[in-house]
Amino acid sequence: MTGDTHYDLEILAELAEGLLDVDTARRVREHLAVCDPCGELLADLAAVREVLAATPTPAMPMGVALRIDKALAAEAESRRGGVGLAETPDWDELMRDAPWEQPVSTESAPEPVRLGVVSDDGTIVPARRTVARRRRWAMPAVAAAAAAVVVGTALASTSLLASGGGTSGTSGGGDVVAKSASSPPASPATSPPKDHKRAKSYSLTDSGHNYSEQDLRRPIEGLFGFRQAIDNSADAGKVDKCVSRVASRSKLATYAVDQGQYNGQEALIVASWKNKAAKRLRIDVVDPFNCKNLRKPALGHW
Amino acid sequence: MNSPPEPPSPAERPAVTDAELLAAHINGDPHAFSEIVKRHRDRMWAVALRTLGDPDEAADAVQDAFVSAYRKAATFRGEAAVTTWLHRIVVNACLDRMRRKSVRPVADDELIEAAERETPLPDQTVEREVSMEVSAALKLLPSDQRAALVLVDMMGYSVEDAAQVLQVPSGTVKSRCARGRAKLAPILSHLRNRTDLDRVSSAKGAELRDG
Repeated sequence: MTGDTHYDLEILAELAEGLLDVDTARRVREHLAVCDPCGELLADLAAVREVLAATPTPAMPMGVALRIDKALAAEAESRRGGVGLAETPDWDELMRDAPWEQPVSTESAPEPVRLGVVSDDGTIVPARRTVARRRRWAMPAVAAAAAAVVVGTALASTSLLASGGGTSGTSGGGDVVAKSASSPPASPATSPPKDHKRAKSYSLTDSGHNYSEQDLRRPIEGLFGFRQAIDNSADAGKVDKCVSRVASRSKLATYAVDQGQYNGQEALIVASWKNKAAKRLRIDVVDPFNCKNLRKPALGHW
Repeated sequence: MNSPPEPPSPAERPAVTDAELLAAHINGDPHAFSEIVKRHRDRMWAVALRTLGDPDEAADAVQDAFVSAYRKAATFRGEAAVTTWLHRIVVNACLDRMRRKSVRPVADDELIEAAERETPLPDQTVEREVSMEVSAALKLLPSDQRAALVLVDMMGYSVEDAAQVLQVPSGTVKSRCARGRAKLAPILSHLRNRTDLDRVSSAKGAELRDG
């Protein structure tokens, strides 16, 4: 049938996939050799494959990735019953002797220890934890434990901090909890009175991004420099309080603050200018409740 | 068996395999599963987005799939690669979604915008038009043909891998691809002359014709 009868696209597509039996395939090929319209159809079929292959496949948007992280954290919590809450290492305490902390520690008075309450499962809950929180700060207990483990591991692997890690390990949970219960208002020396009403000198963003250690080693601008700044967030006051505390520790000018997560834990990423000309910044990662460092303050660049 | 294409940088091939990570997850390592997610989420997203043609639906499907994989990791028997197993869960989540309800018709602009938010296209005009037409055309196909074409033609997996993911014989994948391409050819044929695809396709056609 090399005359008037043509083959339809489906037969030609099956030929291309090698799905036709030997005899049929030979007949179709003989026809194709003399029939330009059918040859064109075959080229159309090949073009479909090329067009599909050339269509770009986008990477997963950050929002979707974050959503999945949260769903998996919730799943982890529901599986393990939400017990085993571990406290985050108290970076303020651990890093007290670090060179950049010296000016602060010399002028800070000993902080009064506040008592916590022992909950049913034996963990000590700071007495101040009754402050109502917005839902976005709520975090699965296991995720908190996981974050603490990550931070703890990073600590142990840093020889510089080995002694600090040992102190944390041997002093037991009670000491750490007691420290965490001593809240911002309890240490007037470290939070100099600041007028929170005045205009912010830094930009505040709310990316919700889950930062990793690697993220923070990259230029920060790529992470949150381009995001739209927010002004009148309900969190602004709370953020400002933490920013003031960080500034009082670092004695540096805060440049930008982003609300997000650090290894799955709610966190404020505070960037302060160390050397503006060289675009060098000090990066503090603090928890938004007690403004305590979740990891060692480190140098970053914009 | 052939596993789906490796991540782009074989030079920094991870020291820990997917199978080891999955085993660590089953044994209670709280970080192992998120590493698996990190490694494969972009490809899972691409499969779901192209199969469903709707970013919101795709996000739901991928989330369901990862949670489901998290739960049933212990049932993974190692008879296939972890990536194949993950693809299977994602594709099934997509097909379930399409079966349960007809996916909301989505403006192509929306899909393109979602795509462009993440991947700035090198040639906005041509690629944007092509991408819009492709997503619109794919929606005209029955879901089984669409899933096969997404895996084989768009994601570049072998017919054998796609057959493992879809859990059908290779011949079935080939025939779904063939029927899908036959339906798309008249719709997408005008794109042949848009780019330099024409030359390649003709050469391929000639090769086939000459046996």
